[in-house]
Amino acid sequence: MFRRNRGKGNYAYTVARVKAKKSLLLKEEDYEKMLMMTVPEISRYISEAGYSKEMADLAGRLSGLNLLEHATYLNMAKVFGSILLSATGELYEMVSAYLDKWDVWNLKVILRGKSYGLDADGLREDLVPAGKLSAESLEKLIAFDSDDDILANFGKMAHVNFPQEILAAYKASGNLGVIEDFLEKIHYERLIHSIDLSSRPSHLFHDYIREEVDMKNFETILKLKAEGIHGEQVMKYLIHGGRGIDDRMLAVLANAEDINSMASEAAQLKFGEEIKGALETNDVREAVLSLRKYEREKAKKFSRLYPLSVIPVIDYMINKEYEVRNIRVIARGMESGMDRDIIKGLLVI
Amino acid sequence: MALEGEAAGIAAIGAGLAVGLTGIGAGMGEKDVGAAAVGAMTEDRSIFGTAMIFMVIPETIVIFGLVIAIIILFAL
Repeated sequence: MFRRNRGKGNYAYTVARVKAKKSLLLKEEDYEKMLMMTVPEISRYISEAGYSKEMADLAGRLSGLNLLEHATYLNMAKVFGSILLSATGELYEMVSAYLDKWDVWNLKVILRGKSYGLDADGLREDLVPAGKLSAESLEKLIAFDSDDDILANFGKMAHVNFPQEILAAYKASGNLGVIEDFLEKIHYERLIHSIDLSSRPSHLFHDYIREEVDMKNFETILKLKAEGIHGEQVMKYLIHGGRGIDDRMLAVLANAEDINSMASEAAQLKFGEEIKGALETNDVREAVLSLRKYEREKAKKFSRLYPLSVIPVIDYMINKEYEVRNIRVIARGMESGMDRDIIKGLLVI
Repeated sequence: MALEGEAAGIAAIGAGLAVGLTGIGAGMGEKDVGAAAVGAMTEDRSIFGTAMIFMVIPETIVIFGLVIAIIILFAL
């Protein structure tokens, strides 16, 4: 009864830390203020809201939008790294598995950036070294010239075996989407399989990730439908192991004629009510935004129901990610002279 | 009326259990409260006072145990 199980994880400590961090995130009124500012003013504003160290560190090398974009990603990576450092036991394992998605993100950035001829500095701006790969490992990947070398070394670093047919398909078409989809799939499948279901917190995490897979699949189907892609073609891109959408339902959704005809099947899903309006009006952008808002609400609800679990940590990470995304959307929008109402519509608040 | 012999011994064991078990209970409660308090203070040092109050709350259980022990030892 009194045995201290070091393997269980320090939920109370880590959750209290992330809750304190969450209280410092930007609120809706902050975004309202930022929508009235220019990029330098936004930079100054976020410096006072917790990004000061990164802004000061990078101010010598970068300026304007570049400084803001690089500093926000760097800050996010540092914050996620500090959460990982403070976690122990199974909590560490779960947070670490969740953060692996940033390795996939970083590889995508490097491959895409190189295909568009971006230089090393340009690539670094979009990297988020919050996953298992350290900043040094990412530097090594940036230094390689050919995609083959990058993929081979990434495979060694992240323990990913790229199947020959995937590599062949990539070489034949030059389409990076094949690699990206494979990595995305492998990330979620690994994540679902890596969760040891022996305790209540890990069960919760398992359910949570499976629901995330549902949302990811639904978003993929929506986007492909908008491009006029149906049936088997869609199935290739989907991730198995979701919670509410089984393989049969995936097939039905993939074979639906258009977005509107997905509405009846979607009504059975947990997020059916949230996206109903957007599906009826065939508005993919609105449907995706509604899904993201639902994801945020779900994380918030779960974190209140189960305060001593990994969910409050995930909830914070999702909120931080959206904060950084919102800051970048506002800054880019204001820089390009977009209408304020349009920018506001793109924010996930 | 003071207890004597075997009864006094059992009463002393009872008093010991009252303090000991409540102490363990308070410790178990404080484990999570303390960890959370330190975690929150790492992010925001200004909450030291509030965190301290929360830390002390589980200690009240020991006081209950101590009162019972005193009653057993001196009032019976």
